[in-house]
Amino acid sequence: MSALLTRRQTLASIVGGVAAGALSLDRAKAAVSELVWATWDSNAHPEYVDPFKKETGTAIKLSFLSSEDAQFAALKTGAAKDWDVVNPGLNGTWRYIDAKVLQPLDLTKIPNRQYMYAPFKDTDKVVGKDGKTYAIPYLWGLNPIVYRKDKYSEEPTYATLFDSKYKGQLAMRDYALESIAVAGLFIGVPRDHVFTMSDAELAEAKKALIAQKPLLRTYWQTIGDLTNLFATNEVTCAFSWRVPFDALRDKLPMGMAKPKAGIFGWSDCFAIPATLSDDKVAAAHAFGNYLLGADYASAIAEIGNYATSSNIIRDKLTHEKQEAIFVDDLSVMNSFMWPVAPPNYSAWLKIWNEVKAA
Amino acid sequence: MPDSRQILALPVVLLLLVGAILPLTILVVISFWSVDFDAFELVPGFGLASWREILGNPTYPYLIGKAVLTGGVTTSLTALAGYPLALSLLRLPKRWKSVALVVLLTPLYTGEIVRIYAWRLVLGTDGLVNSLLMGLHLVDAPLKFLLFSPFTTALALFYDELPFMTLALWIALERLDMRLVEAARDLGARPLPAFIRVTLPLTSTGLCAGALAVFALSAGDMQTPNFLGGPSGATALASIDNFFGTAFDWPTASALALTLLLTLIVAAALLAAGILRLGGRPARVAR
Repeated sequence: MSALLTRRQTLASIVGGVAAGALSLDRAKAAVSELVWATWDSNAHPEYVDPFKKETGTAIKLSFLSSEDAQFAALKTGAAKDWDVVNPGLNGTWRYIDAKVLQPLDLTKIPNRQYMYAPFKDTDKVVGKDGKTYAIPYLWGLNPIVYRKDKYSEEPTYATLFDSKYKGQLAMRDYALESIAVAGLFIGVPRDHVFTMSDAELAEAKKALIAQKPLLRTYWQTIGDLTNLFATNEVTCAFSWRVPFDALRDKLPMGMAKPKAGIFGWSDCFAIPATLSDDKVAAAHAFGNYLLGADYASAIAEIGNYATSSNIIRDKLTHEKQEAIFVDDLSVMNSFMWPVAPPNYSAWLKIWNEVKAA
Repeated sequence: MPDSRQILALPVVLLLLVGAILPLTILVVISFWSVDFDAFELVPGFGLASWREILGNPTYPYLIGKAVLTGGVTTSLTALAGYPLALSLLRLPKRWKSVALVVLLTPLYTGEIVRIYAWRLVLGTDGLVNSLLMGLHLVDAPLKFLLFSPFTTALALFYDELPFMTLALWIALERLDMRLVEAARDLGARPLPAFIRVTLPLTSTGLCAGALAVFALSAGDMQTPNFLGGPSGATALASIDNFFGTAFDWPTASALALTLLLTLIVAAALLAAGILRLGGRPARVAR
């Protein structure tokens, strides 16, 4: 009897313990009523994130970034204590990892990783020297050459941007990393080596950029600026983002070229700050999993014309939509180049200053 | 024992100390540090690498010289245009002066970016000026130099800063005893010599105030050259922005910022001294 009682008591204790544990888990879960996501405004319309709240009860509060550098600086200086999920670009993730401002991710909590396209899933740019993964690319796009189809008989290449035949109609971005890399591709540096050019190659690229200057109408500052330049006939061909193409295609014969020498890709990553409190880590991982899921992919493809790094909805999209978000022909991924801030970035900046002042 | 007025100035002095001198001191200190680009950390120490880069690479003295030249040219142009404008405003009936003041300052109520895009609409390939010139068959093709050239930057800065110069000159002219000018004319001085020997020296403090404002604003403008200067739009400020923000090279950015600041202070001081010297001559004329 006493033994039975003991067993009952033991059972009751176990049940009680489990119940208490479950209740405390529920409380922990309920405690995460909100996550603050630092990201670009174009990545986070309410329609994109509302399903996550319905699914988990955790609301996503948005904190919009002004620049990649500002995001890094805020994490580095501790000014971003309220951010729960951050958005480093794939090209610069290494500096966040080196600066120890991110925490390693528990990949078992992000099952939707299985749907990722291989170039994103297998990238080592998000892996630290300790072998741990600190970020996951979730959104991507291409930076093509945008041009006026009525002004060019053939699809432009990077050489077009250095061709005196088009003097006064060309524009380059006022940005050292991409403009010097374009010059590198133009002088024949292979795309997998362009962000680690030797001093001699950098000097050649600089010469090409200085020779290019008189051919340029201007250096564009913002993508709105470039769209305006196309709309007012100041520029007919530019190293660009896709925005002017989308904005003007109904009014002007716009074209978008993806040079075979290498296509500059961009990709935004999901990452968790090193300082995030333990009670929010599980919810943050759940949100990372959501970003690779079907709801987010459908909403952002439909409204924003962007593709996520997951193939989860690709086959359900129309061919037109696949084409619009660059997933109609997956061989495009073979020409990807991910701009990487080079270790001697300051030297690149100095070269860019010299080009601009020449 | 400080009097009450000096005590009242104390908060401002403190604000200046905290808001200007402290950040400048930090810049001086950081300019001698280095950066560990692997860890993205500033490394305290004493090195001259940043200063060698800024003073040894001809790009930066060129960009700083360009800032001084931009300030000097804009100041000269606004002074040349500001005097006739201020003299016209001076002669307006009193009730029209307040209207004129509002009109003079109207361009400043719009943001800089709005003005920049307005210039593009006016001076662009399909812009107002080119359309007019082509419509009148004065040119066969759009004049490309109107936009994205040093001319555009100079024109836009002139337009942006003219109100500051005109306002300073107008106030100085309002305080000028016009009987002195009339006396000079009665004694046979033609309008230009009377202006140079009487009006100019007696309004030199106003000219100095306007010149310092215009010089600082135009030498320190980054957006106008960036958005309107085209390939010639490079500025020292844009380089500083790149070093601080993009490259995380704070020591080089600090050295460049300090060199630019010191150069602009010296140039502004010389400019002010030169203008104020004009004020020494009218006393002799007046006597």
